[in-house]
Amino acid sequence: MNECPLDDLHPGEAGHIVALERTHPLRRRLLELGFVRGARVDVVRRAPMGDPVELRVGGTDLALRRQDLRGIRVRR
Amino acid sequence: MTTLPFPRAPEPGRPDEEACRLTLARLNAASEPRVVVVGNPNTGKTTLINALAGTHLKVGNWAGVTVEKREAQLTVGGRPVRLLDLPGAYSLSPHTPEELVTRTALLDEAPDVILNVLDAGNLERNLYLTLQLLDFQVPLAVNLNLVDEARSKGLTVDAAALSRALGVPVTETVASRGQGTAGLLDGALRGATLGVGVRYSPPIEAAAAELIARMEERSTLPPHARRYLALALLEGDPSVRGRLSATGHQDLIAQADTLLTRLAGEDVDALIEIAEARYARAGDLARLAVPEAQARRTLSERLDRLALHPVFGVPLFLALVLLVFRLTFSVASPFVDLIGGPLQETVAGWSAALLAPLPILRDIVVGAIIPGVGTVLSFLPTLLVLYLAMSFLEDSGYLARAAFLMDRTMRSLGLDGRAFIPLILGFGCNVPAVGATRTLERHSDRVIVSMILPFMSCSARLPVYVIFAAALFPRSGSWIVWGMYVLGMLVAFAFAWVLRRAAYPSEGGGVLLELPPYRFPAPRVLWKHAWRRTASFARRARTTVLATVAGVWLLLAVPAVAGGHFASVAPQDSVFGRAAQAVSPLFAPLGFGTWQATGALVPGFIAKEVVVGTLGQIYLGEQAATPAPLGLVAGLGSALEATGQAIGTSLAALPTVFALPSLSAGASAPSPLSAALARAFSPASGLSYLVFVLLYTPCIVTVGAIAQEHGRRVAWLTVGSQLLIAWALAWVAFHLARGLL
Repeated sequence: MNECPLDDLHPGEAGHIVALERTHPLRRRLLELGFVRGARVDVVRRAPMGDPVELRVGGTDLALRRQDLRGIRVRR
Repeated sequence: MTTLPFPRAPEPGRPDEEACRLTLARLNAASEPRVVVVGNPNTGKTTLINALAGTHLKVGNWAGVTVEKREAQLTVGGRPVRLLDLPGAYSLSPHTPEELVTRTALLDEAPDVILNVLDAGNLERNLYLTLQLLDFQVPLAVNLNLVDEARSKGLTVDAAALSRALGVPVTETVASRGQGTAGLLDGALRGATLGVGVRYSPPIEAAAAELIARMEERSTLPPHARRYLALALLEGDPSVRGRLSATGHQDLIAQADTLLTRLAGEDVDALIEIAEARYARAGDLARLAVPEAQARRTLSERLDRLALHPVFGVPLFLALVLLVFRLTFSVASPFVDLIGGPLQETVAGWSAALLAPLPILRDIVVGAIIPGVGTVLSFLPTLLVLYLAMSFLEDSGYLARAAFLMDRTMRSLGLDGRAFIPLILGFGCNVPAVGATRTLERHSDRVIVSMILPFMSCSARLPVYVIFAAALFPRSGSWIVWGMYVLGMLVAFAFAWVLRRAAYPSEGGGVLLELPPYRFPAPRVLWKHAWRRTASFARRARTTVLATVAGVWLLLAVPAVAGGHFASVAPQDSVFGRAAQAVSPLFAPLGFGTWQATGALVPGFIAKEVVVGTLGQIYLGEQAATPAPLGLVAGLGSALEATGQAIGTSLAALPTVFALPSLSAGASAPSPLSAALARAFSPASGLSYLVFVLLYTPCIVTVGAIAQEHGRRVAWLTVGSQLLIAWALAWVAFHLARGLL
């Protein structure tokens, strides 16, 4: 219910990870950083030109490009 | 080392007393136990190492890669211990050269104890690495660092509870203030245990057991790493597969593939399950250790509201960059002038007096060796100030923000935001900028950025623009100077675009930028970093620069005409002059085909700031030859006076770095050299000369740095392509300007 790509969330919104695309170029790293099923992701802000996007997962801040957010499915 | 058996893997999820006993026996038998220190980046590990090792710390490079290696030989509790600091790593499935070094060292160095340093304020993320380390059969001790910062975030860590859950000793430190560092190593050596690793799901444990069983049939795989290797194979870690296949273990890879197919048939994705199991455990542990998990709004969040502001973020970044350059230029340049001028003259004067009975030796020392050493030394003030400023921005966490801000801009070149930082540094000095390419993840990015860097107009090129602008464009001088900077950037970006398409295609893959919390860097650590980098530059540069300066001097000293005398020949009659004459027709299409103009370009290959001096020597006939012999006292007096002046100028310049920059290039009074240049060059040929000076080649020190990072081929490719580009664009500039002016 209410599943979407992480790219659809706006700054200030949060979601819980449902799945990472099998072919995601950062799959292994994202898993190691805590993008595991059920983990909460906060969308903190977008960079001045709208991209990349700052995220917070388990107390860590990191930034991904929007094209790499599309392969991350979350539940709002 | 003795031949005691390695302890067998304990039952996962439960400490094994037999294994612990064997571990301790092994440790006691080791004549000189090796302790490796492992931790995530940004855990204050470097500060901790400095506190633990102090002056015993030796810094070098890991073989084959440009990653710093820090180690120390210490005496702990009355016996020798070897301490080895491994580069910061988020995980043991390597994504960066640093992580690869750390993983390889854990496999190959057979450590006796692992000391794992954690950021107490970010336990869950840090514990992921701890849980991977527990997959090794090596005694582990955990150290929670930065506990003061965690407390200020409202996080209280229960070290005792964490220790009970992990089955290893857990200590707390604030390394920046030296709290808890005394006795840390002793405690780790005495207390380290194998601990309690993660228990994965039964299908994964079964598959890992099968792989371990096969590994036990052979002795070539280190026993302490078998469980780790088995799990990495199941995770499909490409670097472990590569390593095992290179060492003749194809059968293990084949078996892992069979097992993975079997697991996939049971709908088990090993990579995901292993990560989830570790994070589930890390989450449990983090909750255990942090009873009040409600964190307060941190300083970092408040700072980021400004630093990453949608409107003010980028201007703030550009203002900071400008500040760094003004700092470099105003504070360092009096010392650069001091070293290149009065100090060098004083030493030359003394040498001339001392060596007066030996004219040939005197000429070599005064003409080649002292200027060579002086050139190397004159880089040092600029580098030290630049390194200090950059270390501050880097260690404070700001550079990561700059990468975030600039990512969108750099993407059009197939680069990511981090690539902007070396380019910006290049405006100060190209040499540290080449070193800064190490922060880039992908090899192709490192090479491309290193190759385009020299187009960034470093501060040493500015004097050439200024003198020409004053001579030929008295009214629009500032625009000419700014135009050079902009042209350099445009050429750099265009060259990057070409290189990306022609030679170094993107390796692809996503981009992930870390945004570590802001931290105020410890001044002592900053100073140490900056000083060490500067000193290592001096060590590296001295041979190349000395040899090149001596070579040019020799060519200038050897007469090319009959009857000339060694070291007392007019420049145009020397081998150097004749050679410059021979190649000068090549530059005729650019508008400056005279031997004087061509000859002045050659020393620019050694260091760009020398070009103006050489122009002076050639056009004004200034004799660089034998300096007046100086007495000891007179020399000392003038050197001291000049030093005092330099310090005064530098201090007086400090407040002005915050003032708005002025375009004062055209305002300087016409010097004799300006007048001579105005006679020798037309505006069109002068502009063409400037374009050529901006683009033609990196200085020899930068070439050396590129060669060290990426090999000689890349270095010479850079020099060659730049010469061609400079020639072509100077030609365009000459003809455009002749048509327009």
